[in-house]
Order: sequence, then C-alpha cells, then structure tokens
Amino acid sequence: MLLDLDGITVAFGGLIAVGDVTFAMAEGDVLGLVGPNGAGKTTLFNAVSGLVRPTRGQARFLGRDLVAMPIHARARAGIGRTFQVPQPMHELTVRENLMVASRFATGRIDRERIAEILDLLKLGHKADADAATSLALTEQKALEVGKALATNPKLLMLDEVLAGLETAGKRAFMHTLAEVRQRYGLGLLIIEHDIETITRLCPRVVVLNFGRLIAEGSPDHVFNDPEVIRSYTGGEAA
Amino acid sequence: MIDLVAQSLFSGVLSGAYYALIALGLALVFGTMRVINLAHGELVLLGAYISYTAEEKLGLDPLASLPLALTLVVATAMAVYYLISLIKTDRELNSLILTFGIGVILTNAVLMIWSADIHSTTTPWYHDATILFDTLFAMQAELVFAALGIVLVGAVWWWLEKSWYGRALRAVASNRDAAKLMGVNPQLTEVLSFAVSGLLATVAGVAIYTAKVIQPSLGHHLTVKAFIITVLAGMGSVPGVLLGAVLLGVVESLTVTLASSALQELAGMVLFLVVLLLMPSGLFGRAKRRG
Amino acid sequence: MNNSVKIAVFLALSYVAVPLALGSNTYVIGLIVAALTIAGIAVAWALLGNLGGMVSFGHAAFFGVGAYVSALLTLRGGWPVFPAMLMAGVGAAIASVATMPALRLRGPYFALAILAYAEIFRILATELKPVTGGAAGLLSIPRLPNVLGLDFGSKLGGYFVILTIVVAAMAAYHLIRRSAYGLALKAMHDSEDATRVVGVNSIVLKAWMLMVSAFITGMVGAFNAHYINFLEPDYAFAGQWTMLAIVSAIFGGYRTVSGPLAGALVVYLVDQLAFKPILPQGHQIVLGVLLGAMILFNPGGMMSMLTAKFLRKEASHAA
Repeated sequence: MLLDLDGITVAFGGLIAVGDVTFAMAEGDVLGLVGPNGAGKTTLFNAVSGLVRPTRGQARFLGRDLVAMPIHARARAGIGRTFQVPQPMHELTVRENLMVASRFATGRIDRERIAEILDLLKLGHKADADAATSLALTEQKALEVGKALATNPKLLMLDEVLAGLETAGKRAFMHTLAEVRQRYGLGLLIIEHDIETITRLCPRVVVLNFGRLIAEGSPDHVFNDPEVIRSYTGGEAA
Repeated sequence: MIDLVAQSLFSGVLSGAYYALIALGLALVFGTMRVINLAHGELVLLGAYISYTAEEKLGLDPLASLPLALTLVVATAMAVYYLISLIKTDRELNSLILTFGIGVILTNAVLMIWSADIHSTTTPWYHDATILFDTLFAMQAELVFAALGIVLVGAVWWWLEKSWYGRALRAVASNRDAAKLMGVNPQLTEVLSFAVSGLLATVAGVAIYTAKVIQPSLGHHLTVKAFIITVLAGMGSVPGVLLGAVLLGVVESLTVTLASSALQELAGMVLFLVVLLLMPSGLFGRAKRRG
Repeated sequence: MNNSVKIAVFLALSYVAVPLALGSNTYVIGLIVAALTIAGIAVAWALLGNLGGMVSFGHAAFFGVGAYVSALLTLRGGWPVFPAMLMAGVGAAIASVATMPALRLRGPYFALAILAYAEIFRILATELKPVTGGAAGLLSIPRLPNVLGLDFGSKLGGYFVILTIVVAAMAAYHLIRRSAYGLALKAMHDSEDATRVVGVNSIVLKAWMLMVSAFITGMVGAFNAHYINFLEPDYAFAGQWTMLAIVSAIFGGYRTVSGPLAGALVVYLVDQLAFKPILPQGHQIVLGVLLGAMILFNPGGMMSMLTAKFLRKEASHAA
C-alpha cells in the first residue's frame, strides 16, 4: 500500500476535526477527497504531512509508520503536498523554490528534473522571477504543485489547486495534472469542491462530513448517495 | 538551622511581594500588546531615583514622594507606549529591540542625572527592625511595601476580573479583532495597561529605594527578573504572577542562606531555564511559547 | 560597480590604505581595532538574526566562552595563540549546543533564554575559581605572536588579525546566504510549515546557524583576550558586547553582509570620538537613541538606505 490510514482521529480540545477515518491507496492510485467546508479534509492532509499529530490512529506510508515521523522526514519519504493558500517562499525566485525542495527532500539539486517540472507546469518563462510578487494566481498554484513535485514524491496531495481558476484554466490545469501523473507515476490525493472536476480526475472518491468518512466508491456511486447529498445541501446552506 | 531557613523563607516572601508588582506590570503589557517591554525595569528604577531626589532635595518621606514619582513614571510609560505604537511591521521582534534601546536610554539618563553612586533611604524608620513571632526579622520598609504590594496585586486582580475596563483588557488580550467588534477600543486598553504597569513600577521602585540600595544598572536586572516570573507564572494569571514572584524570592533567598550570595542570580536563571524548556505552560498557567 | 570590484576596493582600502595612512597613530588604530571587535560580534549576530530568524540578547555568552577557552589553553595548556583561538571558536560552538533546547522557543522567549545562558556562564566563570581564577580574573594572557617577522602583538598587527576574522565572517555570511541552506533559511521566515513539507529540517538548520554564529563570536572573544591580555568574568560576559553588536547590526542593516561592519565603525567611532568627550557619564544614551530611531524609521538599516539612494541616482542618470 502507498498510504494506509487506520482510525485516524484529530481532536483540537473538545472539537473532533477528523474522527476515526480509515482508507487506503495503492501506488499510482488517484483518490478524490470531498466534503463540505469544515469537513476535516485539510486537517487530514495536515495529519498525513505531519503538521498536526493525530490524537489516535495508525498511518503508514509504503509500510513505514508515519505517526512518529517528523515533517521533513515525511517529505523525504515521498509525501508531497500543496497548500490551499499558495505559500511561495519569500524572497526566492520560482526556480529557487524548486531548488530548495529538490535539495532538502532528495539530497541533491536535480537541475534536469527542475527544468522539466518548470516546463510541464508552463512556468519556464517565469523561472527567475520573484515567486512571492510576480506570479498570477494560476502560476502561484502551479508553483505549489512544482515545489511538491521537486521533492520527488510518490504521493502528491493537492489541496484545491483548481479552485478559483476559470473554466479554460481549469481544463488546462487538469490536462497538466494528467501529464504529470503519467510522467512520474504518482499517487494523487485530491481535495476539490467542484464535482465535475472530481468526476473527471478521480476513479475513486472518499467523502468526509464533520470529520467522519460517510461514503467511499466511484464518483457516480457516492454523488448519488442520499447521505452525501444531504451533507452537501446541509453544508451549503450553513 | 531551622530558624535560618524560616527566616530565609520569610525574607523570600517579602521580596516576592515587590517582585510581583514589577512582573505584573510586564505581564499586563504583554497581555494586551504582545510586547515584552525590556525597559520595564528602568521604569522601576526611575521611580526609585525620583523618590531619592524628593527625599534628598525636598525632604519628602519616600511614601510622600509617591504622587510625584507616579506622575513622572507614568508619563515616561506613556512615552514608551507611544514609541511602540509607531512600529509598523513585525511588532513582536521590533518592539523587543526598540524597548531594549529605550532601556539603554533610560539607564544612561539615570547615570547622567544621578551618577553611578548607590543610594538608599536616609529616613531611619524604614530600616528599623521588627521581630515577628519572636524569631522572624524584617525591616519596616519590607513590611510596609509587602503589604502595599499584596493590596495592589489584589486590586489589579479584582480590577481585571470585575470591572468593565478589566474585562475589555482581557478581551483584547484574548482576541483583538473580536474585542473590536464588541465595541472595545484596543488602543485605549493598551494605554491603560501601560499606565497601570507604570503605576505598579513606581511603587516597586520606591519599595526598592527604601528596603534595598539602588544603582543605575539595576533596571536591566529587574526586567530580567520580571520576565523570569512571568515565565514561571505562564503569562496570563494574576495569582500565578504572585506565586511565581514569591517562588523566585524564596529560591533566591534560600540559595543565599544555604549556599552563597554569589549564586543568588544563578538559582533564578536555572529555575527559569528549567521551566522555560521543560514546562511549556509555565508552573501556573497557559502560554504558547513554542513556534 | 560590480561586486568583485567593490570587494577588491574594500580589501585594498582595509589591508593597505588604512594601515599606510593611520598605522603610525596607535590611538586611532586602537579605536578601529575595538570597532572591528564589535563588528565581528555584530556580523555573527546578524547571521543568526537574518538567516536563523532569531534575535539574541546573549551573544556575550559566546564571546566570554571563547575568551576564556583561548586564554586558558594558552596560559595553562601551553597552546600557541592562533590554534587556541580556533579552539575558542569550537568551544563557543560547543557551548551553543547547551543553548539549543531554546531553539524550540518563539522569538522573545529565545532572545531572553540566551540572555539567561549568558548570565549563567558569567556566574560559572566567577565561581569556578580553580580554573578561571574567579572574579579576580586572569592576568598576563599571552599576546598575539610574532610570525615570519610580522608582530601581530602590536596595535597594527592586532588590526590585521581582527580584520581578517571579520572579513572571514562576512565571507561565511555571504556564502551561507547564497547556498541552498541560505535559500531554505530565507524561505523559513515567511512560512516555516511550507518549508518543512518540502523536506527542510528547520530545527537542524537553525542549530547550524547558532553554531556558526557562536563560533565566530568565540573567535572574536579570543582575539580580544589576547589583544588586551586580561580577562575577568564581568568584562568577558558583559552585556555591553551584546548591546554594541545589536546597535551596530541594526544601525548598519543586519540583512546585508556589509551592514554590521559599517554600523560598528560608525556607531563605535562616533560614540568614542564625538560623544564620550562631551558626556563622560552616560554617553551611550546616544546608542539607545540610534537603535530606537533605526527600528522606527528605517528598519532596513544604513546600508540599505545608502543602496536605495544610490540606485535612485543611477536610475535618474539612466533616464
């Protein structure tokens, strides 16, 4: 198994952000993670990448126990992630962002791979521009993906990288993601709100609501599940 | 031996009372502004020196010099507040460096005006000894200011817990934006916390002038002690500050009795580091110090 | 002017022009040596502050440890002075390991925890009488040696030694800042989490910066011990060392490599030449004013201000 979560629970004081979530992904799997706002999707990402420590539960990545592993070691083991709000590294150029990721996650600066990633993500022309100040939103999102790719991951976790893009941009970016996946043979774990996007990208979907896993299966199957529909309409209304 | 230890515990508690006054002022400002005022000890020192001048030149009893000292120290505290409020970015660290600079200015101003000589009150009554329970010795000054200190700490506690201003202050401390929505003016509460901190510093300064000796480099040490106490207390509870102050006073005075006076500061520093590094929420409260 | 020309001019000025012009004036050279001593600590402080993102109020700790290590190695261990000075850097770096638990603390807590360490080291130096000579201090610490006919023990010789330490420290600051480590450290300023998830072990990087900073400061402390041939705890661990370094680094601009040096020269020389004669008591009040004014009105420091002016001029010429 690539990623194996067993009963992951994250509590902040009395609030259960993620409650007893269990699912697994094989290498190369593409899995969609959906649910209304506040369902615990990003918290689950944080638990897998190490930014929060689960209160209970087991997490394994390629057979290795994750729970006690520090954040940077998870990146080195092959877990890459993006942030919902892009976090370009301050005062660094686009290329330098990728260099830091490459150097610290893989031990050396793989310039060829960096050039290839910049090319794939259509960031080549902005490679030496200041990352924090000179990128449009689409480019900032692409840079988030680029940083994660530069760590040479086996699992790439994408937190709403398509949100906020207009339709054409979304199409193009989805195409790019498919290319990236094919090129590097990655497993993808994708948080996305747009049902159409999820349906196109992910053969399998996991639905969270109030931190709990309420449905799992093909997009057709889960988006017709009455409980999922209820959670969404309830969630949207709130 | 037991007498010695009892005496040293007693002296420690007495010092704790004026330590608490100093630390509470530092903690109040930190609570509302997230600023550690590194010039706080210098405000205490300023109060002490004004009391000295009032006694020396005007023949005022140190207690009678309080109104004059209060006026000048609170005015200085307001000036410090004004300068801090000018900081635009990264207030947490820039204010640290700014108030460090203000501390340097105040220390050197004291040095210029009053020279490096040491002073203590010349009113003999303050240094007269009182014997309590047949065995415990204290100077009148220590008793007067320990009592005054406890009353003031209690008053501040009551004020924070019960009064409208106190509630506003606590609201700003816990969530600035939410407090604003509730109609609390954060600036006003910040000014207020600085004023009260200046008031407490003045009383502590006069206490030190009557019970100990003062010299220009003292301010820096007082700031450090106050910071140590707030770390022990865990920032954010008045009884915690009082307990932390007494604990520091007792540990220092026991070290002097049982080991040597040269190790007095060492004991406080070691206690500080142990609590800082091993007890993330202090001894008596909650605080987030980890990054 | 490009960078290598600037560096060549700086080196020519400092290694040739200054000694030729002022070498015979021991008073002025003595002042410059003192300013460079402050500059050395200021560079080390700036390296930790800018790259590590940590403000320290306790650099005197590393200065004092370095001074004592080198003094004791030469006095008691019979070491030659220059190797002892290197070991002093190592000793200060080792002392910094003791302070590393503090790296987990946030800004102000770290700053004051380091201050506590400086106090503890000072008290230990006072109390460990058999080793350190206690409060009475150490006398007749060996002076800097004569090597190949060059007398480093003279005022001018001392100038070359401390200048070389400062130049090396600046080079180290520059090289680290340019390296992948420097990039990662810079990236950590804004979002430590985003940097950690790409594999950067932030605590280890900060620990390295603390060690490098302590090493430089220890070397400077050792130089000073051999230059003045005398040490006592209250002097070696004096808060003055930290204070002067902070004022210099902030005044000159601690985010630039040259800022701390420029700051130290201006701050120290102005203080000693202009204000000490008028205000024998409390002349350092001016340093407090400079520090406060810089933080409030120009946090980038003097060098960034000059650069900005220079760039504007270039731009207006081009237009």
